[in-house]
Amino acid sequence: MITRYDEQQLDALCELASIGSGTAATALAQMLGRPVELTVPRALALPLADALDAVGEPDAMVASVVLPVAGDAELVVLLLFSYDCAANLCELLGVEPRSDIGDSALGEIGNVLGASAIGAFAQMTGLALAPEPPHVLYDMLGAVVASLLTATAAELDFALVLDATLTIEEAESGLSFLLLPTVGGADELLGRLGFEGGE
Amino acid sequence: MGELAVSATAEDELVSMGLGSCVGVALVDRDRTVAGLAHVMLPSANAAYSAPAKFADRAVPTLLASIERLGAQREQMVAVLAGGAQMFTGGKTSVGNLDLGARNEAAVRTALAELGVPVCAAATGGDRGRTVRVRVGEARVSVKEAGGVEVSLWHPHFHADDLVETP
Repeated sequence: MITRYDEQQLDALCELASIGSGTAATALAQMLGRPVELTVPRALALPLADALDAVGEPDAMVASVVLPVAGDAELVVLLLFSYDCAANLCELLGVEPRSDIGDSALGEIGNVLGASAIGAFAQMTGLALAPEPPHVLYDMLGAVVASLLTATAAELDFALVLDATLTIEEAESGLSFLLLPTVGGADELLGRLGFEGGE
Repeated sequence: MGELAVSATAEDELVSMGLGSCVGVALVDRDRTVAGLAHVMLPSANAAYSAPAKFADRAVPTLLASIERLGAQREQMVAVLAGGAQMFTGGKTSVGNLDLGARNEAAVRTALAELGVPVCAAATGGDRGRTVRVRVGEARVSVKEAGGVEVSLWHPHFHADDLVETP
């Protein structure tokens, strides 16, 4: 099991994630019928506790979309929106935020952003990765992340964090992607990029 | 996460923020200014690797030993639990199906029973995240649910009728 990563490995993971975000922006622009810009000023691979700190306070309320990924490597992609950003996105699609249909719409947006990012990973690594249906959850950041990790990763305290800025028609909002490799998932991904597993 | 903290300083506040399926285990001595809080993530240890409080079966005895070292007496000790929610309900995927919160709570209760420490209050289950705080000086444990307000869960002068037990 990988518990530590060297700089080169981290750079490779971060590079992969940045490539994915461009694809994601294009996909979202098509869905919303509006110009969308998605920039990733910060990409970090961090131990979980630090990853949480990088994203926000553990008891901060977030709108989250969870995308489990099956296939050659098991991953979970977690997208974190601020409440305002989630409401804005729902509005652009003409649905009530935090209603069943609003959750469904946000899940679909998460699906579009996450799945195209996953597609980029898949293309670059040659891994077959299949996103599963999204879960939408409005709750405390720490509760969402820890519950996900314990249900999937169990012993791998590591996350790839992408702090992104989503700009839709000049309105900017913050968005975070967390890529949480489950046990074996990170090994598989790094292996495909030409790295052996760490110690 | 996966950590524990103990204190015998009246001004201290021990906090676990954003508990989902994790369980916050507070141990409080009724008569002394000493308390501890552990953030349990999983029911049982299955590997050598672990943070001190990650697994219920290790965290509870470790927490108890830690507050005993600060002078807590087992006979005066009470436990208060928060967390153990089922965050991902109705999911068809692997993420939604593991009733981990309930298993965590059950494992914590089993470990406490083995050590003879009563659970005097609990805010567990449901599908919302929680933050739990232990004010060491008052021996007061309070909990705040996601989107809710902070409420007192237990303190030494609580009447039995006031106890908050959520299903």
